[in-house]
Amino acid sequence: MDAGEKEIFIEGHPCVVVDSVRMRYRVASSAASDEDAEPSKPRLLRRAVNKPHMVTVQALNELSLVVERGESVGIIGRNGSGKSTLMKIISGQSKPTSGAVYASSTPIMLGVNAALVQDLSGDQNVILGCLAMGMSRAEVDEKFSSIVELSGLEKSIHLPMKSYSSGMASRLRFAIAASVDPEILLVDEALNTGDAQFGDRSKLRMDELREQAGCVFLVSHSLDTIKAMCTRVIWLDKGDLIMDDDPEVAIKAYQDFTRHLSKGNNVSAAKILDDAKANLVATEVRGRSSRRSRG
Amino acid sequence: MSADSAIDPEPVAVQPLSVDMRRLTRVGSRPSFLDYLVQLWDFRQFIFYDARARVQSGTRRDRLGSAWLLLNPIFNGLTYFLIFGLLLKTSRGVDNYVGYLVVGIFVFQFSSGAITSGARSIRSNKSIVQAFNFPRAALPIGANVRELLSAVPLILAMLLIVVVLPPAEDITWLWVLVVPAILLQSLFNLGVGLILARIISRVHDVTHLLPFALRAWMYGSAIFYTYERFVTHPQMLAAIKLNPLFNVIDIVRDCVLYARVPQWQSWAILAAWALGALAVGLVYFWKGEESYGRG
Repeated sequence: MDAGEKEIFIEGHPCVVVDSVRMRYRVASSAASDEDAEPSKPRLLRRAVNKPHMVTVQALNELSLVVERGESVGIIGRNGSGKSTLMKIISGQSKPTSGAVYASSTPIMLGVNAALVQDLSGDQNVILGCLAMGMSRAEVDEKFSSIVELSGLEKSIHLPMKSYSSGMASRLRFAIAASVDPEILLVDEALNTGDAQFGDRSKLRMDELREQAGCVFLVSHSLDTIKAMCTRVIWLDKGDLIMDDDPEVAIKAYQDFTRHLSKGNNVSAAKILDDAKANLVATEVRGRSSRRSRG
Repeated sequence: MSADSAIDPEPVAVQPLSVDMRRLTRVGSRPSFLDYLVQLWDFRQFIFYDARARVQSGTRRDRLGSAWLLLNPIFNGLTYFLIFGLLLKTSRGVDNYVGYLVVGIFVFQFSSGAITSGARSIRSNKSIVQAFNFPRAALPIGANVRELLSAVPLILAMLLIVVVLPPAEDITWLWVLVVPAILLQSLFNLGVGLILARIISRVHDVTHLLPFALRAWMYGSAIFYTYERFVTHPQMLAAIKLNPLFNVIDIVRDCVLYARVPQWQSWAILAAWALGALAVGLVYFWKGEESYGRG
């Protein structure tokens, strides 16, 4: 694998190291199963147990990244390219099939996070969520009013969660998750909802957080947002890393690619993809002076 | 995997990066057992808030509200009294059969409720598990604290019934011993709950078996009959009497109904079960820490 290049020595302590992470899912498929896929099991038995045909989905192929303090990394790609999977792995919500993520502090993900308890009221959920993030009761009391204000729920905060509309619930979720000031911040904007008024407020808070954070990962379908906020862009396609470059370069290539695709030029789109891939320099992480021995 | 590309190039170049890993920790990694216990202690406010909030909301959907915490075991006791006391006459040879039955049912129900909710705590709170990073054992512990809180009115009702219903028993200083017995019982519940919680988070099917196992356990715990009446073999009888729940029930009956000091053997058996189950449960649950809520 070693292309004979010199090892680059990274000074200081990086924020996040993604080391040869790979993600594979086993999921049920409704497609008719291959008869010879599982010849050992009689068909009748499989019917009786009613286990659907299982297929393996490669959500993310082997990927390594080193992100240093002060970087904000935008992740772009089509639907199903593995953006959210990568975010989930970095935040620790899913465990990669192989490889590992190392971080200097607990990464916090904003967006779908902070799932809540349906039977409890909004204010109880605020307290519970904050305590679950490791705040003390005094800190929660201190932040409580600003969380409620950010959520914009006003009086509805005392109603049980199950009476909330999905927009209200996601506003509350965001407000709870945004109440900590994390060093490593992950933002999955593709999953953010809310009306325009809330949009402004959450954007303000998000900008604040982004400024305070040591490093930021951002998934967004708005390329303008990414261009404005990020210092580095990663382009994923079907689980493969395609590009890891300056925002200008990567976004331009990605825009070319999607333009060709939308015109139906699959061949030329594939060519852009292959060109980008051919120029990609993959990272190999070599831990130094770590107590852990790396295989 | 990339069906779009004509060729599937391997990464052309690999750039090794030397990274200082000393200050990094693996995301989602399991702490050492002692650190884990310390973390749990740090999350005590979360545990208690979770328990308290849910006791209040548990019966909010019912018109009679919290009254069901009492009505439930009372109806249960009535059913068993009709069938076993009046129809099958298992009451023969039992002093104060109503009291005997009530104590058995109320005390057993505390365990069966606590074990069930402890066992399901990881599964039913999957969204919280996925959203926040906290020691997962906080959930089964929270569930058990909650059951203990809602057991307080239950136990008071039980004592009231014993005092009011003929043959009315006198209140003696022995009643105080009910408290340590119930506390030991709840440690035992927690231990079993922790073990089951890990199993159920892996194999959900076990939830379907749990009610049957608990029912069998109940019939085997001398709730509406005495062991002496059916088991004549002395060794067999001694073996059956190792049942931890029988020992709690026996202790409470001795204290409350028969005004005699419970045998030290009962205490020893109960304490051994409680501490043993708790130790095994904590270690077993901690070993699976990285797997909860993932997949």
